[in-house]
Amino acid sequence: MNATGFRVKSRLVNDVAVLYPQGYLNNLAGEGLVSECGKYTRAGVKKIIVNFRETDLINSIGISLLLHVMEQLQAAGGTLCFTEMDKVQLGIFDMLGLTKYFRFFQNENGALEFLGSGNE
Amino acid sequence: MPLQGLPAKDYFNREDELSYLRRLAGLRRDILADNVLLTGSRGIGKTELLKQLHRSLFWDSQDVVPFYYSFKTAALKSATFARDYFTRFIRQYVAFVKKEPLYVNNISMPLPRLMPLISSLGLDWLIDCIDDFQENADHGDLYGQILSAISTPAAAAVRGGRPVLVMLDDFTASEDLHETKRGDAPGLTSLFEVSMNNSLCPHIITGSPSAKLEAIFSDPSLHKATERMRLSPLPEDTAYELFSSLLAKMKISCDREAASGIIRRVKGNPLYIRNLAKAAWKMKKISLGKGDLAECYSFDIIDGETAFYWSSVFGESLRDKGLRRTILGLMMHRMARGEADDQERLSKILGVRETQLATALDVLELNDIGRGFDPVVEDFVQSLYFREVEAKTDAEIRKLIEAKYEMTGDSSVFEMVIPMSEQAELVAARAIDQIGKNINLEPELMEYLQLALVESCINAMEHSGSYEKKIYLKFTTSPQRLEIAIESPGRHFTLDSLKESPTEKKLAAGQKRGWGFTLLRKIMDDVRVERIGDRTRVTLIKNIKRSEVLN
Repeated sequence: MNATGFRVKSRLVNDVAVLYPQGYLNNLAGEGLVSECGKYTRAGVKKIIVNFRETDLINSIGISLLLHVMEQLQAAGGTLCFTEMDKVQLGIFDMLGLTKYFRFFQNENGALEFLGSGNE
Repeated sequence: MPLQGLPAKDYFNREDELSYLRRLAGLRRDILADNVLLTGSRGIGKTELLKQLHRSLFWDSQDVVPFYYSFKTAALKSATFARDYFTRFIRQYVAFVKKEPLYVNNISMPLPRLMPLISSLGLDWLIDCIDDFQENADHGDLYGQILSAISTPAAAAVRGGRPVLVMLDDFTASEDLHETKRGDAPGLTSLFEVSMNNSLCPHIITGSPSAKLEAIFSDPSLHKATERMRLSPLPEDTAYELFSSLLAKMKISCDREAASGIIRRVKGNPLYIRNLAKAAWKMKKISLGKGDLAECYSFDIIDGETAFYWSSVFGESLRDKGLRRTILGLMMHRMARGEADDQERLSKILGVRETQLATALDVLELNDIGRGFDPVVEDFVQSLYFREVEAKTDAEIRKLIEAKYEMTGDSSVFEMVIPMSEQAELVAARAIDQIGKNINLEPELMEYLQLALVESCINAMEHSGSYEKKIYLKFTTSPQRLEIAIESPGRHFTLDSLKESPTEKKLAAGQKRGWGFTLLRKIMDDVRVERIGDRTRVTLIKNIKRSEVLN
């Protein structure tokens, strides 16, 4: 683990928002992520990818906030995808029986293709 | 109360003594045995032996009447004692003949209500005894009342044609029998001589402290025709058998090897063994390893039944606070340095007058807490000393006691305290990361362990509600096992209170929080939640497989 202070970067790829949470995903960071997602959904974006390549540790509160994002997006008829999770992060979702509620992709391109925005 | 002892199947290793005492009435009648002075250290099981004997005779014998009497401090005014002793004997006699324990235990039933029953049992001579006793009481003849009460069992043995086995427990308290206030009628104990000399009425007498009991029996009137039976500690294997059978009843498992150290420490004393098992139950243990046993033991010494027992002994004997401090100081000195110093030198070292020191030494001697006292008392005294003289907290004392019994050998122990503040859990995660590296744990397992620790710390922060915003962490590692104890003050919680629903159910109910303990259970091999004093302790245990260690 190399948990550092949390930041979230993001970018828009066509009609897909891609978020890059960095560091330790806990309550504060999770709220930052929720807030960042909110900015896009309020602007009409319904496809979101969360890329975990820079995320070190996700705790259970972080997971609950990811569930919150998913719920909000589903309510708006949108789709949430996760990419580049490491083995342990995937393992955590698996332990909690949550894998069937999210879409996981090995890399960002795979997720973008799935969302129909494969060409950046 | 007699007939309220342990179930016979749970009574260990006293078959020889029980068998001899069961035959005592017959042997005494044939002048092959004397009265018995039953001795042994505190908690060794003297009272329990009498209760087992009483029950055995009550149910299995037709011709030896058991009578059990415990001298209670509340009944030491001689008139009260006489009535109490007399009425208990009548009840127990009637109960035995009728084989109805109700009459033994129902002490509130007045004797006149028993008259029709006594008559129907053909025990009219017992009615004469009651009348005689009442006559003494009506005439205010105190001496007559006591003598009448004490001699009734012997009289009953003669008139009823059945020997009566008298069992006198807590006999040391009989020294405090008095007319109106303590000390105004010394020597009443010697009145038992007449009854004890009757060969149809053997007495078994016991009590604590042994030194005081022995002192009473230095009186020739009691000493003659009395033999001594000394109860020994349980042997190690029997002691473990007792311990594991008690634990099994509470569904707690225990590793025999881990228990052996503590069993030796309590020196096969059944009282301590029972108290230790109760401590394990109070601490909500499920299985006991070496560390758990050390915790249970320190809990028992500081807060448990053993502490309560010895506190009451010390409370009775050492009401004077100044003397109490002297005695604690003296005992601590003896523990550290042995008994080499003479009184003059000791008084200088301890900073007390020689007269005070002499009193302290007498009190210790008379209360069986003087020379060669047992290691459990030693630990109890240490805990008292730490609390009363050094003003240490219970948590500090617990650590000091536990430290004596910690895992040794190939294990390492690390401790840290973190504040309940934002991201403090990451500091703990860093620590476990380095600890894992020290024992070459593979990185993936380390990440899971870090998460488990982070979850526990968050849980402690969320549940605590305490003003003391701290979390106490203890990491114990060995090549085979990693144990992390996370303690937090404040509100207690149990695993039951943290029961989690299945994921589907949770999500359907819109419940997004509460994944922490599910993760802990999935990651760790064992998760325990215990109450330790004012703290809740979550213990995370991971058994390390060979494949999880880097070469």
